[in-house]
Amino acid sequence: MGSSPLMSLGVRAMAANYAAMQTTGHNIANANTPGYSRQQAILATSQGQFTGAGFFGRGVDVVSVSRSHNEFLTRESANSQSLAAMDATRLSQLGRLENIFKTGESGLGYAATELFNAMVDLSSRPSDLATRQVVLARASDMAARFSEAGVTLDQTQAAVTSDLKSTVAEVNQLTKSIAVANQRIAALRGSGQPANDVLDERDRLISQLSERIQVTRIEADDGTVGLFISGGQRLVLGGSATDLMVVPSDTDSSRSALAMREGVTTRRIDDAGLGGGTMAGLLRFQNSDLVQARNLVGQMAAAVGGAVNAQQLRGLSLQQPIGSTPSQPMFSLGPQQALAQSGNVRDPNTNLPIGSVTLTITNPAALVASDYGLRESASSPGSWDLRRLSDGLVRPVNSGDVVDGMQIVITNAQAGDRFLLQPVARAANGMRALLSSPLDIAAASPLMATPAGTNTGTVATGDLVVTATPLPFPGSSEQLQFYRLTPPVNGMDYEYVSSITGAATPWRTGLPVVGANGYTLQLSGVPADGDVINIDPTPATSLASNNGNARALLALRDGLIVGGRTMTDSWSQSLADMGVRVQSAESSASISAAVATQTEQVRSGQDGVNLDEEAARLIQYQQSYQAAAKVLQVAQSLFDTLLQATGS
Amino acid sequence: MRISSAHAFESSLANLQRRQSQLSEAQEQLTSGKRVRKPSDDPAAAAAAERALAAEARATAHLRALNESRNAMQMTESAIGDAGEMMQRAREMMVSAGNGSYGDSQRQSLAEALRGIRDDMLSLANRGDGAGRYLFGGQGSDVPPLRDAPGGVVYDGAAGQLNAAAGEVTPLSVDGAAVFLKAPDPANPGATVSVFDAMDTAINELMTPGRTGAAVALTVSNAISQFGAVQGNLSGWRARAGEALNRADGIESRLGQNQIDAKRDRSAAEDLDLVAAISDFQSKQTGYDAALKSYSMVQRMSLFDYLNP
Repeated sequence: MGSSPLMSLGVRAMAANYAAMQTTGHNIANANTPGYSRQQAILATSQGQFTGAGFFGRGVDVVSVSRSHNEFLTRESANSQSLAAMDATRLSQLGRLENIFKTGESGLGYAATELFNAMVDLSSRPSDLATRQVVLARASDMAARFSEAGVTLDQTQAAVTSDLKSTVAEVNQLTKSIAVANQRIAALRGSGQPANDVLDERDRLISQLSERIQVTRIEADDGTVGLFISGGQRLVLGGSATDLMVVPSDTDSSRSALAMREGVTTRRIDDAGLGGGTMAGLLRFQNSDLVQARNLVGQMAAAVGGAVNAQQLRGLSLQQPIGSTPSQPMFSLGPQQALAQSGNVRDPNTNLPIGSVTLTITNPAALVASDYGLRESASSPGSWDLRRLSDGLVRPVNSGDVVDGMQIVITNAQAGDRFLLQPVARAANGMRALLSSPLDIAAASPLMATPAGTNTGTVATGDLVVTATPLPFPGSSEQLQFYRLTPPVNGMDYEYVSSITGAATPWRTGLPVVGANGYTLQLSGVPADGDVINIDPTPATSLASNNGNARALLALRDGLIVGGRTMTDSWSQSLADMGVRVQSAESSASISAAVATQTEQVRSGQDGVNLDEEAARLIQYQQSYQAAAKVLQVAQSLFDTLLQATGS
Repeated sequence: MRISSAHAFESSLANLQRRQSQLSEAQEQLTSGKRVRKPSDDPAAAAAAERALAAEARATAHLRALNESRNAMQMTESAIGDAGEMMQRAREMMVSAGNGSYGDSQRQSLAEALRGIRDDMLSLANRGDGAGRYLFGGQGSDVPPLRDAPGGVVYDGAAGQLNAAAGEVTPLSVDGAAVFLKAPDPANPGATVSVFDAMDTAINELMTPGRTGAAVALTVSNAISQFGAVQGNLSGWRARAGEALNRADGIESRLGQNQIDAKRDRSAAEDLDLVAAISDFQSKQTGYDAALKSYSMVQRMSLFDYLNP
């Protein structure tokens, strides 16, 4: 037995430790490379050589270089990153949206409050042009703030669409790269050794993809992975990738949706099933938060604008001919709309939907901040189900019904037709102040009440509020005669008889009097039996000083004009609503970010590079290398000894 | 447990950044003095602040309206006071007209003086308040509300009063007909006296020459009785204007209190508690400082430093 086995053993040991050091060096070099997994040279004992005296070891072999990789943790990390990215995206969008819901003097609510407070001054000085000018300025300020809010909402929608488009472009790039990596991995698989760095690269790409859209990964036998989204639609399979694209939404073409390109056709992706990723965050923001914000702002605009317009139309302006010129509305508002869904039956010639729905606002105060879905009832065909999308309330409706302050008229509807109704969504966008002259403001009431000179009781007239546009304009005279009821009937100790209708209405002091001409009148004092209150058109000579309608306009400030609440209450509630949305988005974003950090910490704890560890390994392998070199040295010196012994 | 060096750097860096942003948030609160700058800072407080702001703006507007009413009522009160003095002078003239030694010419010159008072009274009744309204315009009149017409002075305004919008009944005008044309006649229950008719009758009768002493005495006693009724009515209306001013004081103090309450509510909802905020800021500062120190100490350590080259 010569010294050559020892020499070869030493050489192999040196090579093995060198390989281990090379791997350690690779780890150190890639310590900061994203997605890099720690690698390890796998060493194995060479099979011993059999002799009569037993097996003699032949040293060490490098079997393979493996990467530290945990399938489960990698998947967990990618999924948690998906959710974190979704929440973070929604939060940052909501942060922008919150700017519309400003508190304090710069807010929408304050602008409306200021308009009504200007009516206080108008009531004090109805004939003063400067005071009227202030009212106009406040009205145009309020309209401008609402339409700015509408523009901001539109811009936010445009930003969502453009973010979606750029993200889709990134996703398409990523899925192509993953498909290429799949091909390489499958090709390299023939070598019998794992292509560690390509696998890392693919995992990194999948992790990047997961941030944008949550995917399910399924490993194939050939080493490739298949990636699927939501309902099992295939994004990557083997070496081929499917392109995503951004398309207008089915329900509302101003919104965006995702679709998959399948040959020449496209297939919609259901927003609800997307799971996580920035695109899911964008879509959720678009379909829930943005819609809600639009409706809250729109409800306020439609209700306040509608109430002011209606009261303005009931009053008299100072335009010529004075006393008979109908007033003009103070604001224009964006239109209510009923959108036919893309699947509705179309006319083959024009390609326009055959069925249509017309919305008319009948009572701005009853409008709700919501969109509505309208579809044929499943249980009773021919009738319709109206679903309020903000709270899911479903009501049966028929064409012509009035629901939540809007009248719904359905014409030519075809089987299976569906409509999206938006009574207030666009109201703020189109809000403009229409009046240009201070004379246009209808501060005067068309009707005026005076106690008859022959009265013997103490009854005096208080506020007269015209509650309907007088027809014929500007109204006609009415006498109300009061009679005692003895004994009182149902607690009413008077009745009054209208000279227009001749009808007697039971009454008691403190109750407003409701006239046939469409007004309510407060009375103070006590009428004597037979006393008369005259309601006459306001004479032209007192029109400029009359503040009846200015006071009625002011009364809207405290009236339940927005969804059954006062304007201030309703707007404060909207602020709180939006605040809570942002707050809860903040907390889910911080929770999901913490979870993502945690899972990434666990994953990287197993797969990542620890430099102290690599330093220790470096020393370990260096020492082994040095020891192996010593073996070689000994083998050489043995050989020398042998030469000397056998030499000259 | 293994720690990935790259991840350790990443996560401590992220922690540092988070602490820094918390610190800057606290600083922003301190410099702005506001705890609630957007609804999400505290949704309930933001809603409360919004309501308080509306209440404050409302009280401010109502105070402006109240001032209008107060001005109008002050002018009305002093106008009615002036009218009362005129009536007193007219009454004294009538007393002297009853002097038995006076002849026609003396009575006629008294009648001339009385006519002057009567004209002053009409222009007083049509006095404006400087804001485009007539003090005695009733429910509003764009033209002088009292007008000489055949058969005596008539009222063109509408009975009743204009009110300012101060949340309560705050008159901007009074009913000129009730003040000047419809004084209740104590001597003749149910009947009313017009100051102008009474004066016109007295002037006419004093101007008529050659009347008997008894006829003159009747004129004088009728006029004094009617002027007395007018004076009584005027002082009643003066008291009502004074009462409106008194009420205005009460309303002002209520509105002022509302304004203060609204300001306090708003401040309580959205302003920063400085003591708590400074203490919070300091604790965040200490936290950030500790994080920086520990970061620099821990991340500096590496096994490579201890290995000989």
